[in-house]
This record gives sequence, structure tokens and C-alpha cells, in this order.
Amino acid sequence: MTNGRITGNVPAAPGHFILSIALPATFQEPSFGQFVMVRNLLNGKAMLSRPFSVYGFHRDAHQSALELLCRVAGRETKLLSGLKAGAGVEVLGPLGNGFTIRKDVDRIILAAGGVGVAPLSFFLKERAKYPSKAAVSLFLGAKNGEIASALVKGLSDTCAVHIATDDGSLGFHGPVTEILAAELYSCDFERTRILACGPTPMTRALARLLADKPIDCQVSLEERMACGVGACLGCVVPVRNSHGDAMYKRVCKDGPVFDLRELLWD
Amino acid sequence: MGLRKENGEGLKLDVSIGSLTLKNPVMTASGTFGYGEEYAQFFDLSRLGAVVVKGLSLLPRMGNRPPRIVETPCGMLNAIGLQNVGVETFIDEKLPFLRQFDVKVIANIFGESVEEYQKLSGILSGVDGVHALEVNISCPNVKKGGVVFGTDPEVAALVTRKVAAETDIPVIVKLSPNVTDIALMARAVEEAGADAVSLINTLTGMAIDSESRRPLLANITGGLSGPALKPVALRMVWQVAHAVRIPVIGTGGITSFQDALEFLIAGAAAVQVGTANFVNPLATMEILDGIKDYMERHDIMDIHDVINSLRA
Repeated sequence: MTNGRITGNVPAAPGHFILSIALPATFQEPSFGQFVMVRNLLNGKAMLSRPFSVYGFHRDAHQSALELLCRVAGRETKLLSGLKAGAGVEVLGPLGNGFTIRKDVDRIILAAGGVGVAPLSFFLKERAKYPSKAAVSLFLGAKNGEIASALVKGLSDTCAVHIATDDGSLGFHGPVTEILAAELYSCDFERTRILACGPTPMTRALARLLADKPIDCQVSLEERMACGVGACLGCVVPVRNSHGDAMYKRVCKDGPVFDLRELLWD
Repeated sequence: MGLRKENGEGLKLDVSIGSLTLKNPVMTASGTFGYGEEYAQFFDLSRLGAVVVKGLSLLPRMGNRPPRIVETPCGMLNAIGLQNVGVETFIDEKLPFLRQFDVKVIANIFGESVEEYQKLSGILSGVDGVHALEVNISCPNVKKGGVVFGTDPEVAALVTRKVAAETDIPVIVKLSPNVTDIALMARAVEEAGADAVSLINTLTGMAIDSESRRPLLANITGGLSGPALKPVALRMVWQVAHAVRIPVIGTGGITSFQDALEFLIAGAAAVQVGTANFVNPLATMEILDGIKDYMERHDIMDIHDVINSLRA
């Protein structure tokens, strides 16, 4: 556990906020797709920490600065959304295995659902650190145009951005996987990689869409977590292992990023 | 007095559980510490009194469908369903890691029949690096066995006898709080040959999402752990400590050194820290340091002067 201090907390979109946390310079640099467990020390009511994927990270000689894009999902995230600069939090991390970028791909497609854009934004901001020369595009699905435009703010400078909304108020009216499907017609499957993070219905739709296409797809998952380090076995997802047997893997320790084809659906 | 050092050296912290001596009374609770691997990055496991590993069955178990956990006020419900690698893989792949540390390892075992408990005891008996068995007769989250063994004193006694007959290492029986008279259960397993009892396991509980009217756990019910449990656990430990002569290991919602001391004062010879590990990976170490500091402040040299020291 590392003690952190809130340095900024700004509303990003309705029900979404960006927390900036100052941490010691010794805090380990996260790779993109990794997450942290955060505990509100000021007015938190929860016993357990809450997991958030890393949205941004900077370090200078004196301190590290961690940025988290969060959605209000329950009482504890509501309390976090109200924290003022100066408030103390505990941070455990960085945790889990992030995305991997292969050198031999020409295209990287980022598929995000709502707040799932957080780890993918981190990649776009840190892109210079990854050796890939691939063309990158982002497909974002969100509830409405107001949320969608807020979530992609600043990202259109870094890559092509395509938007789908549930209510049709911006971009395509329908699931983001439908505009993604259209895009795939122009892709060389072997030289394309999809990196995805979004709610379960999106991941499930993606699995169906890619079932007959030899495209590598890594997906970051979210589950309720207690420990965040692999001990409690609370955050498991069903997968098929290399022997073809069904088993459970831990989102926190074995993930949160998985090969989409590993995942088992009912 | 003058010889005592600031860092707690010179304090007598060792406690006995049957023939087993622990260097201090702080251990981890089964199911909250894996097989030690995840927490070794945070502190030296050799500092623990003992590591109690995740419950082991004869064959690997997948466990229950997710969602398996949900937070509730001052606690959490879990229905993991005893997911584990199985006893053979534990011995081959997990135990070598723990053997690197100068720490006592207590293997928690779970069977679906009396025969399975007996076999597990036989398999683990004499294995290098296994220092005691903790018999789980009280997991609320599995369909067969489990809590059934833990709620009938005669069946609990039978399991205890069969397990004890197969091994020379101490046998600790972990008791369920989901009974009317836990002292009766404790006496039954004591008479059947248990070297110690640990209590309490989780209380069965439930949580519902009122909006969707669905249970928050796929298993519908789960085991409640965390601080919400502590007053109940403390009362039961106190009752059992007065009902049996064998050592009592107290567990249930211990989060701070004060909590641990309450259990020791109530009569526990040692404590297990469970859910607190999830909240703070260093919980056991902070509790141990807190106990040492308490002894210094109260001029107590031997932890046995704390144990069972409740004042009228």
C-alpha cells in the first residue's frame, strides 16, 4: 500500500470523473492495461479497495502522478467523485498484466465501451514508448453523445476516432461492434490487432464478431475484487486452458488482459 | 527491564498448538492467503506464526460460478466454493515455495466424505513442510459435505477421529458458527482427539440487488467475513475457551492489533487474520508489531500473560 494525495478531481462527463493522485517517485511505473486498487481514507465507507485501470502516469524527480478515469458505479465511487485536492488515498499497484503490442502489426484497433476507454487512452498518450509503427484507430461506444465526446476529448489528435451511441445522439446509432464489423472488411486479419475494454455485452459481441476471423484480440476485463493480488479468488472468469479444459482464471492476477479466444461464454 | 530492546526482542511470543510451537501467535486464515505466493512480495513470510493455506481437496476443484464476492457493511460475502489445486499439486508445486521460508505451514483440508478427509490426512502426514492439519468441517459454500460435518457433533467427532488416526502432526478442527451451541461442537472434537480448535469460520449470509431483485452472488448465499463478524467470533472463542482444555485459535474479523488482543485476552492461544489481508497486505505484520508494542507498554514479557487474562 502506498499513501497518495489527491491533487485534482474533475468531472469528465456525466457520472464520470478524473482523479489525479500524487504518489512517491518510487511508485512503480505502470504498463498500459495495468490497474491499481484505491481506498478512500477521507470519507470512504467501504472496507475493500476499488480497482481502476491506469489512465495516465507521469513522474519527475520528486513524485509520481497517477491519473484514473472513473465512473460512478456505486456508493464508494460516488464518495471518491467528491474528494477534494489534498485528501488522502491508499493505492496498491500497479497490478496485473497489461496489453502487449507486437511489432509485426500494421493496424491497431482500440475498441472501448464507456469508461473502458481509460486503459486505451493511456496507450494513446504513451504511444511513443511502444515500438509499433501501426496505424491506430479508436472505436468508442457510449450511452450518449455528451459522454462519448467527453471520453474521447483530445484523442482525435492521436488517432482516427469512430463513435457509436446507444441513443444515436452522436455517431452511429447502435452497438460499437457494428461499426467495428464494417471496418474489419478492409483489414488484413493477420496484421491487425484489436485491444478492447468495455462492459460484458460488448466483449461478448466482440467474441461473436471475431469467432470466424483470425484476428488477435486482447481484452481487459472488470470484476468485483477483494484483494487485487490473486489471493481471494473472488474475481475469476471462465476460460479454456491450453489443454482445452474449462477452468477459472483470476482477473486481477492472470489478467486483467486476456486473449479474447481464451474466454468461455455460457 | 533494562535488557529489553525497543524492537520487541526479548519478548516471549511463542505459543504451542499441541506439539507444534509457533514463534508468535499471528497466522493467516485459510482461503485469504492462497499458498503464500501472492503475499511474499509484501513481507517475509518467515515472520508469521504460521501460514494456513487455502483449503485442499483430494482432486482439484473449479469452485463456484462468479460473481463470488460482494461487499456488505463492515464485511464481505464470499462463495468461492473451495477452488483449489488439489492436494497432489499442492505438495508438488506449491509447498516447495513455502518451504523456502522459516514458517510453520498448516494444511487446511476439506472432504466430501469421511473417507476423503481420512485420505487427505494420510497423504499429507509426513510430508516435509506440513506442520499441522486444519480440518475444515465448516465451509458454507459447497453443496456436499462441508457444513453438514460441522453442525452435527457426532459426525464432527467421527471426522476428527479418522483424520487424527492417520497422522502424527497436530490436528486442528475449524468450527462453524452456524450452530446453536459451539461449545458442544468443540467438546465433541476434543474428545475425538483434536489437538486444537480454530473458530469461527464464516457466518452464512445473503445479499440482494433490490433494483433487479437478483442475488448478488451466483451461489445466492455466501459466507460473511470481516469486522462485521468480530463480536460474534469473540463471544464464541470466549465460550469455547472455557469449555475445552485444548488450545483455541481465534479468528473472525481481526483487523487491528487491538482486535487480536481481544481474542487472546478472551482465551485464544493464537489468532488467524483473514479478510484484513485483502484490505491491507501488511495486516498480519502490523498486528504482530502492535502486539509487541502493547506488551512493551504494559510491561508484559510473555504472551501467555495476555492469553486468557480477561478481568472481571
